[in-house]
Amino acid sequence: MKDYDVIVIGAGCGGLASGALLAHQGRRVLVLEQSERVGGCCSTFEQQGYRIDIGASIIEFPQVIDWCFQRMGTSFYDEVDLVPVDPTFSAILNDGTRVTYPISLEETAREIGRIAPEDVKGWERYSKKIKGFLDAALDGFFLSPANNLTDVIKLFARTPALLKYNSLFFGSYEGVLRKYFKNEKVLESFSFHSFYAGLPPSLLPGHFAMIPYAEHAGIYYSKGGMIGIPEGFRKCGEKEGMQVRLNTPVKKIMIENKRIKGVILEDGTEITADIVVSNINSKKMYLEMVGEEHLPWLAKAGLKSYTYSMATPMLYLCLDYEPPLNDHHTLMTLPMEKVNDYWFEHYMKGSFPGEQFGILSWTTRSDPSLAPEGHHIIAVTLAPGVYNLEGTTWDNEKNAIKESIIKYLSKTYLPGLEEHIVLAELSTPVDFERRLRSPEGAIYALRQDLPHSMMFRPSARSRHVKGLYLAGASTHPGGGVPTVTASAMIAADLIEKYEK
Amino acid sequence: MKALIIVAIVTAVLFLLYLVQPKSRRRFIANLLSQVKYLVPRYFT
Repeated sequence: MKDYDVIVIGAGCGGLASGALLAHQGRRVLVLEQSERVGGCCSTFEQQGYRIDIGASIIEFPQVIDWCFQRMGTSFYDEVDLVPVDPTFSAILNDGTRVTYPISLEETAREIGRIAPEDVKGWERYSKKIKGFLDAALDGFFLSPANNLTDVIKLFARTPALLKYNSLFFGSYEGVLRKYFKNEKVLESFSFHSFYAGLPPSLLPGHFAMIPYAEHAGIYYSKGGMIGIPEGFRKCGEKEGMQVRLNTPVKKIMIENKRIKGVILEDGTEITADIVVSNINSKKMYLEMVGEEHLPWLAKAGLKSYTYSMATPMLYLCLDYEPPLNDHHTLMTLPMEKVNDYWFEHYMKGSFPGEQFGILSWTTRSDPSLAPEGHHIIAVTLAPGVYNLEGTTWDNEKNAIKESIIKYLSKTYLPGLEEHIVLAELSTPVDFERRLRSPEGAIYALRQDLPHSMMFRPSARSRHVKGLYLAGASTHPGGGVPTVTASAMIAADLIEKYEK
Repeated sequence: MKALIIVAIVTAVLFLLYLVQPKSRRRFIANLLSQVKYLVPRYFT
C-alpha cells in the first residue's frame, strides 16, 4: 500500500485547492511545500509587527474561488474574512490627472464622462460586450480542460456563444480597448491592467480586456493578509484529512514504467503515491524533477521553448504616517504607448529605470490591524523587471534601485515618504526565485500569449506520465488566484474521471 | 513556376499589409509569428 493516494507539490492556492478537493473526494492527500508558509505569490509574511503581502493584493473573480469552496460544501465568504474594496482603483495619470473608478458601472461611466465625455458610450458598449463574454465564458472557459484539440472543440461546442466573441481571442488587449475608447487618458487608466496577465497591452491577447470590467463584479481583500485565502483552502482540506508539510522541498518525482511511483524529498526521504499533482512551474518540474529521460523528444522541445512569464519586483514600505492616498489600489500609470515602449526598450533590453509605474497597494487602508496603530503598509508593485539585467545583477543593484525608487516616489506620488519609512524592502526577481523557487521569479509561471495558452500550455493531465496532473499557473487557464483555483477544479475533475 | 509566382505575390501582399498596420498591431503579429514553429512541440507537452 502506498503512503498516500495523492501527493501535491507546492502549497500555493492551486495546490491547496486541488489537495482539499481531492481530500473531499475521500483520498489521502499530502501537500508538500518547500517554504515556511503556504500561498506562494498569494501569501503574507510578518516583519517587525507588520504583516506584508508578498505579491497578490486583491482578489478579482471571487465567484470562481467561491465555486471551489462550494464543491466542499461551504463558501468563500464563510471560510475567508473578506473586506470589500471599493473603488476598484484610483489612477494618477502621467500628466497628474486623477481618476477613480467605483465598483458601480454607472458611477464609473460618470467618472469617464468627467475626463472624456466622448468615451461614455464606449464604456457602455465595452461593458455590454465584456458582460456578454463573461456570461458565456466564465464557467466554460475557466472550468473546462484544454489539454488537446478535442477538449478545445468540446469547450466551444458546449459554449457556442463563445464563438460570437472570437474576435477577442485574435486581437490584442490594446486593440480591443482602442475599439471602444478614443481618449488617451481613459486608455492610460486601463494600461497597467495588462500586466495583471503578464504582458504589455500590445502583446496580451484581447480576451484579457475583460479585466478592467471584471473588477466591477466585486473585488476583495483578505483580512489579516492575502494568506487568508490559501489558509481557507488549507483549513477545508485539513477538515477532510489532508496533511500539509512545510519546509519540505521535493527533489525528484519517482516514475516506474511511465507511471507515478511517488516523490523523493531533498533530504532523500521517499514518499509513495499513485498520483502526483504538480502545482509548481511545469517547465522546471518536467525537466528537473521528472527528468528528460522520461519525455519524448517533441515534448522536450516544447517544454524548452516556453518563455517564463514576467517577474514583478515589489517594494514593501512600512510607514509611520498615513500616506497621501485615498484608496486600496492607486495605479501610477503611463500612456499606453509608453507602456508598450517600456516593454521593448527596457524590459527586453535588461534595464530597470528608477522612474517607475505600477500599483501602490495600501493594504492598511482595508485592514488597519496589519500594522501597529498609526502605522501603514504600502506594497508597491513595480513595472515588470527582467531576470537578467544587462551588464549587472539584481543583487548588485538592489540597494541603488531601492533608493532611487524611494526618492522618485517621494518626489511624485508619495510626498513625505522618505522621512516616514520604518522599514523598506525591495524584493527583486532573484529574491522571488529564492523565496518561491519560481524560475526567474516568474509570477505567472509561463507567458500568457496565445502560443502559450490552452492546448499549447502544458496539459493538466500529463501525456507522458500516468498519474501526473498539473494545477497552478503553468497549465490552463493560467496565472492569477482565481485562475489557479480553476485549474485545481479541473485537475480534481480529471483525477475523479481517470483515477478511480 | 506559376505557383511560385503566385506564392511570391501573396507573400508580398501580406508583407505590405503587415507594414501598413499600426506599430502595436505589428508587434502583436510579430510575436505570434515568431512562435509558430513551437506550436507543434508545445501541443505535446
